[in-house]
Amino acid sequence: MPPYDDWNKIDDEEDDELQDASHLETKKDVILFCIDCSESMLELREDPVYENVQTCHAYAALDAAMQIQKKKVITGPSDAVGILLFNTTRKAENSNRNQGSEIKKNCYVYQPIEPLSAPKIQELIQLLDAFREDTEELRKQFPPMTDGKRVAMGDVFTSCNWVLRDGAPKTASKRVFLITDEDDPHSGPGAKQLVNSARTTLIDLTQSGVTVEPFFISIPEKPFDVSKFYSSVLLPNNLVDEDDIDQDDPSVLPESISISRIEDLLAQMRFHEVPKRAQFSIPFQLAEGFTIGVKGYGLVTEQKKGAYKYFVDLGERMEVATSRTVYIDEDRQDEVDKTKMVYGMSVGAAADDDDDHSGGTRVVEPGQRPFYTAEDIRSFRTLGLEPGLKLLGFKDRSELLFEDNIKHSLFIYPDELTYAGSKRTFSALLKSMVKKKKMGLVLSLTRRNASPTFCALLPQEEKQDEAGWTDPAGFHLIPLPFADDIRAAPVETGCRASDEVKDAARAWIDKLSVKNGAYPPDSYPNPALAYHNAQLQATAFGEEFDVDSFEDLTAPKVDMIHKRAGKLIEAWKVAVANDETALASAPVVEKKGTKRKAEGDTSEAEVRSRYADDTLKKACVSLALTVEQLKNFLRSKSLATSGKKADLLERVEEYLAS
Amino acid sequence: MPAERAGYTVTMFVVDIQPSMAKLRTHDPEGNELLHEITNLQWGLQFVKLKIQEMIFNGRKTDQCGVIVFGSRKTKNILHTKMKEGYEDVLEYIPIGQPNAGTLAKLDALKPSNNSGDPLDALIVAIETQDAYLEKKKTWTRKIVGIDFDDEEYPYAEEDKSNFKAENEEFYKRMVDGLEEEGAILGTCALALRETVRPDIKITKSTLMATTLRLGDNSTRPEEAMEINIKTSKCTAQSRSKSWKKFAERRKKKGADGCEKKVVFTQLKMRTEYYVDRREHNSDDEGGDVKMEDVEKEGVKKEDVKEDIKKEPEPEPEDDDDNDDEEGRPTNKIDPGLEQVDKEELIRGFKYGTTYVPCPDGQFERLPTKKGIDICGFFLAKNFRRELCMGEIQYVWGDPTQPEQQVAISSIAQAMYEKNAMAIARWVTKDGMDAKMGVLAPCIAEGVDCLLWAQMPFADDVRKYTFASLDNLVSKKGEVLKEHAYIPTAAQLDAMDAFVDAMDLMDAGEKDEEGNRGPWFDTRLSYNPAVHRIKQAQFHAAVVSDLSKNPLPPPHPDLLKYFEPPRRVLKRAREAIEGAKTELKVKQVPKKVARARKDGHVHARDEDDDTSILDAKPTRTQSQTKVSASPAGKKGKEKAVADDSATEDDSDDDILAKTAAAKAKKPMGTPPPPKKNHNPLPTPARSLSPEFDPGRAPGRIVGNTRPLDDFKANIARGDMVSKAVEDLGAVITEIVMRPFANRRTAELMECMDTLRDTCLKEDEVEAWNLFMQNLRRNCTSEPGNSQFWSEVQKAGRKISLISEEEAEEHGGTSQFSESQAQTFLS
Repeated sequence: MPPYDDWNKIDDEEDDELQDASHLETKKDVILFCIDCSESMLELREDPVYENVQTCHAYAALDAAMQIQKKKVITGPSDAVGILLFNTTRKAENSNRNQGSEIKKNCYVYQPIEPLSAPKIQELIQLLDAFREDTEELRKQFPPMTDGKRVAMGDVFTSCNWVLRDGAPKTASKRVFLITDEDDPHSGPGAKQLVNSARTTLIDLTQSGVTVEPFFISIPEKPFDVSKFYSSVLLPNNLVDEDDIDQDDPSVLPESISISRIEDLLAQMRFHEVPKRAQFSIPFQLAEGFTIGVKGYGLVTEQKKGAYKYFVDLGERMEVATSRTVYIDEDRQDEVDKTKMVYGMSVGAAADDDDDHSGGTRVVEPGQRPFYTAEDIRSFRTLGLEPGLKLLGFKDRSELLFEDNIKHSLFIYPDELTYAGSKRTFSALLKSMVKKKKMGLVLSLTRRNASPTFCALLPQEEKQDEAGWTDPAGFHLIPLPFADDIRAAPVETGCRASDEVKDAARAWIDKLSVKNGAYPPDSYPNPALAYHNAQLQATAFGEEFDVDSFEDLTAPKVDMIHKRAGKLIEAWKVAVANDETALASAPVVEKKGTKRKAEGDTSEAEVRSRYADDTLKKACVSLALTVEQLKNFLRSKSLATSGKKADLLERVEEYLAS
Repeated sequence: MPAERAGYTVTMFVVDIQPSMAKLRTHDPEGNELLHEITNLQWGLQFVKLKIQEMIFNGRKTDQCGVIVFGSRKTKNILHTKMKEGYEDVLEYIPIGQPNAGTLAKLDALKPSNNSGDPLDALIVAIETQDAYLEKKKTWTRKIVGIDFDDEEYPYAEEDKSNFKAENEEFYKRMVDGLEEEGAILGTCALALRETVRPDIKITKSTLMATTLRLGDNSTRPEEAMEINIKTSKCTAQSRSKSWKKFAERRKKKGADGCEKKVVFTQLKMRTEYYVDRREHNSDDEGGDVKMEDVEKEGVKKEDVKEDIKKEPEPEPEDDDDNDDEEGRPTNKIDPGLEQVDKEELIRGFKYGTTYVPCPDGQFERLPTKKGIDICGFFLAKNFRRELCMGEIQYVWGDPTQPEQQVAISSIAQAMYEKNAMAIARWVTKDGMDAKMGVLAPCIAEGVDCLLWAQMPFADDVRKYTFASLDNLVSKKGEVLKEHAYIPTAAQLDAMDAFVDAMDLMDAGEKDEEGNRGPWFDTRLSYNPAVHRIKQAQFHAAVVSDLSKNPLPPPHPDLLKYFEPPRRVLKRAREAIEGAKTELKVKQVPKKVARARKDGHVHARDEDDDTSILDAKPTRTQSQTKVSASPAGKKGKEKAVADDSATEDDSDDDILAKTAAAKAKKPMGTPPPPKKNHNPLPTPARSLSPEFDPGRAPGRIVGNTRPLDDFKANIARGDMVSKAVEDLGAVITEIVMRPFANRRTAELMECMDTLRDTCLKEDEVEAWNLFMQNLRRNCTSEPGNSQFWSEVQKAGRKISLISEEEAEEHGGTSQFSESQAQTFLS
């Protein structure tokens, strides 16, 4: 069996514990970029980043759309994207396209909603390149409406609705990214009616399951004031997320309207790139009869490389092969239906003298039930609990140790729609815990098929950073290790550094510390993933992958390190070498026999110096390194110590050469 | 010899099967009545079987056992064979080997004899057999376990762990002494049995993995760069339960000797099959998509094929609360357009959107990396964001064989500890492996200084979702709201403060030596309840042959000790809890029915959206949620449903809303009860009790599961015809408007035929016509089910409105003319 089949053998129940968000990611995401192409959007302005370069808002918006497409095509290859432009006089060609051929006037479907593909992205890249060559390109392609005329926003929303209806799969999550710099599209006569129609059409759009995420461009010359038009039109989109529109509470604005400087447009869109999806919605019991509703989100989840698929060459095209897992009775090659399966333990290795109980079968009297049903199994796993969080009490924040970690955390946020009053209770709890520097201890069962875990509940206050990103208010749910998960320390004693050595280390640590720094996830894109994706993209575009252009941003900045602390590290090394405890060859180490130790100390230096002199092998017999020395050296480098002396020498050389 | 080396053990079980073992036990030693009487032998064997099961569980080839019985009729043992005499009635019942299920089955076959035997003989045989077997394996541990019931009341399991190479004499003495004094090595079987289910933690010392801790560039500036030989080992590692194996029953053919039929369960093997759709793509708007969806449903999904493949066969019967959803997964159905292909024909590649990117190796060239941990910089620990930790923690030690390296690590750890700093580091486990980012924190233990590693997220791993502010509420007019139902008042905040104080666990733990209470809850004492419970269940199933007669005992109390807050805390907090409750007034919201959407009924839903998702209008008043009878037949014989008619609503487009609302009466979080295949005969009393008949909405006499059967049964009895007609109409509409209705199209059409026929004959013409009008409106509006409607249209005139002409034939009347009935469907 080829090795790549191995993943098939991983146990399925266990997988459930690993489940995380994968079940959510099976949902397709559709984004329709709805970009304003008015005079103002096409007006050439100084590029905010590059000098002597002219750009326009529409270009920035299209560029952001392209970047999002490039990212999406990898993270969600079956997602679909489209681009609709409005306030342009360009008309649809008389093609047979279904989408966009029948939308409102002055709206134009530049890219119909389709699954992402390399040609589609390349088309957009070419358009953007053309604009950089000739800044009139966009204006030529998409002539704006003139004389300050604008298309009614109601028409824009209706067009979006039609395009999505025709192009988006029904089950997908559907979003419209609305990009405009006009805060008051309908100021003239008849404004009231236009506002009303915009609101109604937007409600229609929302009711067909579409979320509108506005990205408003605000620049000093043309600041964006939401209250002029949009605040009376936009719906609280968080409620759409909850499957309903809360009529009781029309007073609160949508949770996220991004008003950004043009240079932050892409960054803002990145925040919204992945549609927000709750992993679970469960009750949180604070005490008997005192329960609120919460939703859980995975804010930290390992993003892996996409797995390869199997394709079949059908001649004219490649087709993905669908795989299907079946369970069979091997002796009879019968496929067994899932509902007929029962569960038990492996019957163990078959003994030779056993013919009655040959491997893999168990024989019982009729009417006896030796195995569990799937339902039994689930109850063992959950211990009969229903999904929910249950508060056990509060502890000091300092009780949460660094090493008490086992897997990534989840984030919980109140869900007013299951329990009225959840938000105020949650908010009060949060404030109280922050004030008292407490963390919560909860028993958690997040899904029906999960198993109970104890979690620390870490409060997070709302906080805004410079980049405009807001840390939301909520609790982090950090799973604690069980006793079963904690490993004993295999090393109990060791040589300790003297204060001098410690101070020497402190000197360079001080130099290499970032003031007010923290671990910055944003600065470290996964290099392996980026390297993989870059090759994938190059192959898809039919380009050569340029290895040299790849930069690993996680690599340590060695030049900076040497510049700041090189000399101090050197001094520290001397201190370590002269440390008395080490020189006294710590008795601790001597458990395993002095001989090895003594030689171990010399072999490193000796082997290295021989290598430097190039006398590793050539040295005359009397001066030759002993096998023991070589082995010690190799062992200290955690390399294999097997083989003849020649093998050892070769391995040492190989190591030193690398 | 290593003290606790796993495996390398031969355990001999010496089992007494003399007549005394046939005595029946009805109570366990604590005096609790047993579910079924068992013999002393069975009782004792349970211990043996659990012990053997543990060996099977661990599956070590070096963990072996054998069974010697005495009091048997047969005599067969090595000593008897060798000496041709003596050691009578001692049988080597199971030769030494790695145990399997067969071993357990053989033990089950043991029956008490009416012979007597000599335990000491058996013991000697056991030792001798073991000795002979281990002749060449001197380092193995030998264990002898005797099951003996000479003492009247309490059965014994005598166990001796001994490595008695040259000490046979000694051992004898000790053994006999032990027996006489009922000494330390004896224990009661009951205790032994109980101990087998106590959660035990095997102290696992992880292997040390060698690597290098680096700072700076050692190749170009070695004198200024640091390179420390280190070892890493796991500090936390998720423990998992052993996986369940899947079995299915198969009937054994009658044996050649004509023995009675037994039930055979076979362990199932997993197999992956590959299918391809050779059909041409349609170029119409959704064509390209449809195929993709098939692919997804079948289980192969974009990002992580593995995850999904594994997911598919999960035992999650209850997870599928929504029955339609369950049916919606065509996991076991193969699209006829798919064709199975050989694995060999397949080519590996990736999808870049819809673009195929070949990649025969299954991966592109990897980024070259060098094994080791590179330090990138330091920062203050107070800025560390604990919630970003991704996974298991690792220790980082200075090489335990190299004092200089230990000092180096120690100096760094101490300096970091003093500064209260952490390091940002990049870890590559092997040359060429993908790098991970993480932080190193100092750890100053009693005898050694080391570092701890925690993996931290890459930019790609962090999701930035936006959430509405909890404090900062802005009205549409742009005003900041100070008071709102979402914002806690000062009184509410105070109540919460009192609650948090009262529920403090810092002084709720056990008393220490000085009588001070410490914090309650310690990770080191918190057993993973699922892992231990599953293990208990697995052991139990392996040693009993019938789970119905011998169900799994409850979990060990240690597993549940942290499931409730400590009692004294709850007592102390009673007042604060009540205060917070009254002040904050949290109320469960009856599940609202989602507002009608326009994109059709197959909504993409959140996983958590687990209750009814009927596409219906919202309920208008609270009182309506109690209504469940359909309004369609308001003219009917209402006496039969007097209970419901009082609140009956005349509006006819509300059917869905009300039935959905009725469903919503079920408590939150509990899934709808699973469908039963058999519905008891409906009677009014039953039909009004929703618990009794889950297939039916409360107040209905026709259920959603088998509407036609229910309907016919009612009509046959001739009572409540109007109600039955009305309910069937409502049920049909309801099913039609649900996701995956098309799967039941044929059934629904059959229902409609019958319904129409009944209406015509039973003078329910108006009810039919009303139902049809309703159905048309529902099907053709958004969200509708135009597909179903076109089926109805296909059926044509015979299923349309009942016209005046038709009605007259059966002595009824209709408001519709024949031509209206003709055109109604077009």
